[in-house]
Amino acid sequence: MALDERRKRDRDEVFLEYTKSICPVCKVVVDAQVNIRNDKVYLRKRCAEHGQFEALVYGDAQAYLASSRFNKPGTIPLAFQTEVRDGCPSDCGLCPEHKQHACLGIVEVNTSCNLDCPICFADSGHQPDGYSITLEQCERMLDVFVEAEGEPEVVMFSGGEPTIHKHILDFVDAAQARPIKVVNLNTNGIRLATDRRFVAALAERNRPGRPVNVYLQFDGFDERTHREIRGRDLRELKRRALDNCAEAGLTVTLVAAIERGLNEHEVGDVVRFGIDHPAVRSVAFQPVTHSGRHLEFDPLTRLTNSDVIELIADQCPDWFRVGDFFPVPCCFPTCRSITYLLVDRKPERTDVVPIPRLINLEEYLDYVSNRVMPDAAVRAALEKLWSASAFMGAEATAHSLEITAAAVPRGTPAPELECAACGIDLPQAVKELDERAFMIVVQDFQDPYTLNVKQLMKCCVEEITPDGRLIPFCAYNSVGYREQVREQMSGVKVADVVPNATELQPVVTDSPYGSKIASNGDGRPAVARDTTNVGRKAVQR
Amino acid sequence: MTTSRADAERTKACCAAAYGNDAVALVLGESYHPGGLTLTRRLAEVLALRPGQRVVDVAAGPGATARLLAAEHGVTVDGVDLGEPTVERARLAAEDAGLSASVRFHLGDAERLPLPAGAFDAVVCECAFCTFPDKAAAAAEFARVLRPGGRVGITDVTVAEAGLPAELTTLAAWVACIADARTLDEYRELLATAGLRTVHTEAHDGAVARMIDQIDSRVRLLRMTAADRLAAAGVDVDAVLHYAALARRAVADGLIGYALLVAQKP
Repeated sequence: MALDERRKRDRDEVFLEYTKSICPVCKVVVDAQVNIRNDKVYLRKRCAEHGQFEALVYGDAQAYLASSRFNKPGTIPLAFQTEVRDGCPSDCGLCPEHKQHACLGIVEVNTSCNLDCPICFADSGHQPDGYSITLEQCERMLDVFVEAEGEPEVVMFSGGEPTIHKHILDFVDAAQARPIKVVNLNTNGIRLATDRRFVAALAERNRPGRPVNVYLQFDGFDERTHREIRGRDLRELKRRALDNCAEAGLTVTLVAAIERGLNEHEVGDVVRFGIDHPAVRSVAFQPVTHSGRHLEFDPLTRLTNSDVIELIADQCPDWFRVGDFFPVPCCFPTCRSITYLLVDRKPERTDVVPIPRLINLEEYLDYVSNRVMPDAAVRAALEKLWSASAFMGAEATAHSLEITAAAVPRGTPAPELECAACGIDLPQAVKELDERAFMIVVQDFQDPYTLNVKQLMKCCVEEITPDGRLIPFCAYNSVGYREQVREQMSGVKVADVVPNATELQPVVTDSPYGSKIASNGDGRPAVARDTTNVGRKAVQR
Repeated sequence: MTTSRADAERTKACCAAAYGNDAVALVLGESYHPGGLTLTRRLAEVLALRPGQRVVDVAAGPGATARLLAAEHGVTVDGVDLGEPTVERARLAAEDAGLSASVRFHLGDAERLPLPAGAFDAVVCECAFCTFPDKAAAAAEFARVLRPGGRVGITDVTVAEAGLPAELTTLAAWVACIADARTLDEYRELLATAGLRTVHTEAHDGAVARMIDQIDSRVRLLRMTAADRLAAAGVDVDAVLHYAALARRAVADGLIGYALLVAQKP
């Protein structure tokens, strides 16, 4: 008998997770698997109709695995808005199976915008058939948020472009009339640059204990960056917006959408600029979300959190190492990483100290292997800082920074032992540190390629819909809820948006809003039926 | 390295005083050794400590490890340290934690442990063995206090065969725990000579890099908040940052590492 010459081969990947996702073309719920290949993490799935899809979800497999310990047990909200029926992600939300409350609620006030950016996950622009909410609708949305959270940490007004809504100041007032601690205004900055009365009106509302923070799109300094991401050179407008905010005493978060091959070389400059600008207290980096409208991309080489963190460390080598960023335990730890810096600007040098180097965060935020409870007050402070609700200028954030800095000398404050020998009262000294603190956030939102319900189920950033639901941000943008809400609100049929991936070019066509939709006029419902929980016995006999 | 007895005593005293100093506490934090409590937990895991066992912590510092071992593993711990204020602080902290029944501290020298022979199931020694001038004597003491079958768990700085850059071998670098660090093989031989057979080793090089970063950033923080008083306390910030940078480079070049090592008494 001849020997069989076929040889068994090993797979080239480590099988890590089995989960659910959606088909990026028809949005039907499908099973998915997460694998590690060449030290990177990929999500793969197969749609019965549209075939197999794979996307990079994390560029550093070690970091992905290591972060799993920093996963805080979620908090149950005071109220859920929907019930469990078809399973995740078809029941949003929030349904009682959701694992976390809402740290941040987003109210999108309109679909119109004074820009038509080539990159816009909300698919907004100068469009005749969108919608804008009324004051009554806004109040109802805020009430839903309050009902779910009691005293919500942060509400963010977004759009469209919220500053062009004629009631935007009324909306801010409505939020401040409720027990919502922080108001964030997500804007392209055009009105802030050109309407100083509007800036002054916002500044009036920015009061101690009730801050209004500006969340300003700010993608870089090259003209090409502006033209390709925003369609216009906005550099001068951004400068004026920032200076107006500084003059009015408004704090600003710079929000940079980072795309592979476009502005990835500018992350270090954005950090340096932010540290130097008097209005800026934090920077948020977001790999471009391939939901809504965006440039053509390759899902296998997209940017992830670990890639952005490596870029920051490479471009500011004197200040950062990769380990200075710590995963946020509040949501799924692979979704968001944060670092805080203490900054000392002197004429001769700018000293930057990342707080994670001062205190062993993993000893406080490891929820899996810690058997002895670390100092509860310090842990609580760190949980507030490493959270989606942390905003520079917010009282809770400032207070948590103080507690953290006071814990630096010995890990646990021990007043009776306070440094008798050298007379340095560090806790007193660090009270002034809030002024010097600076936050950097790296957040990779999921798209129809990368969507993993495991992460979605613990999302703590929710879109508040006019019909009173709290829908996890990545579900809203990727699964079909955005299209559903726009259709309900505008009365105009809205097709499911399909990612503008290179491999999908043969099956997509332009939507009226600049995004891509399936070219076969797919008639499926916007929110797909869950075909995983099929309601059948495992084996049919 | 040859060191005269007088030098050795001076070094030990200097080292203990530095570690007992509040300025050093500010710079190094609660857990003075690389890897922090996470590595301590790993060490306890590798030693397979069981409730009721007796453990010696050599160079126990302010007692964070002793408290952790007692609280998480139910062992009783005898901590030994050379600095009187440090021992006093460790006692107070154990009292505060309600652990005085299971954690005791003794003023003493690693080379002459004030503890009976053959009475202990385990010895731990974190980031301290490399600072002992007479390592052979310390290793013999580990062996003496252990019962047959007992194990010593050491985490410590290691150096490559090529040795350290000259600047890092001066006295000033002693407290940074690196000047008399040895290769892993040399540690193994020292223990073997004392009759302790190495049964397990692990590399934790990232821990020492992390520790150096922590020292560097704590000093920078103090410079931001209390530069005058830091100078008055005799802390030379530029010198600390200089040594930290040298050490960081040596870690990157693979000249300095960190190892966990477990050896058993037959």
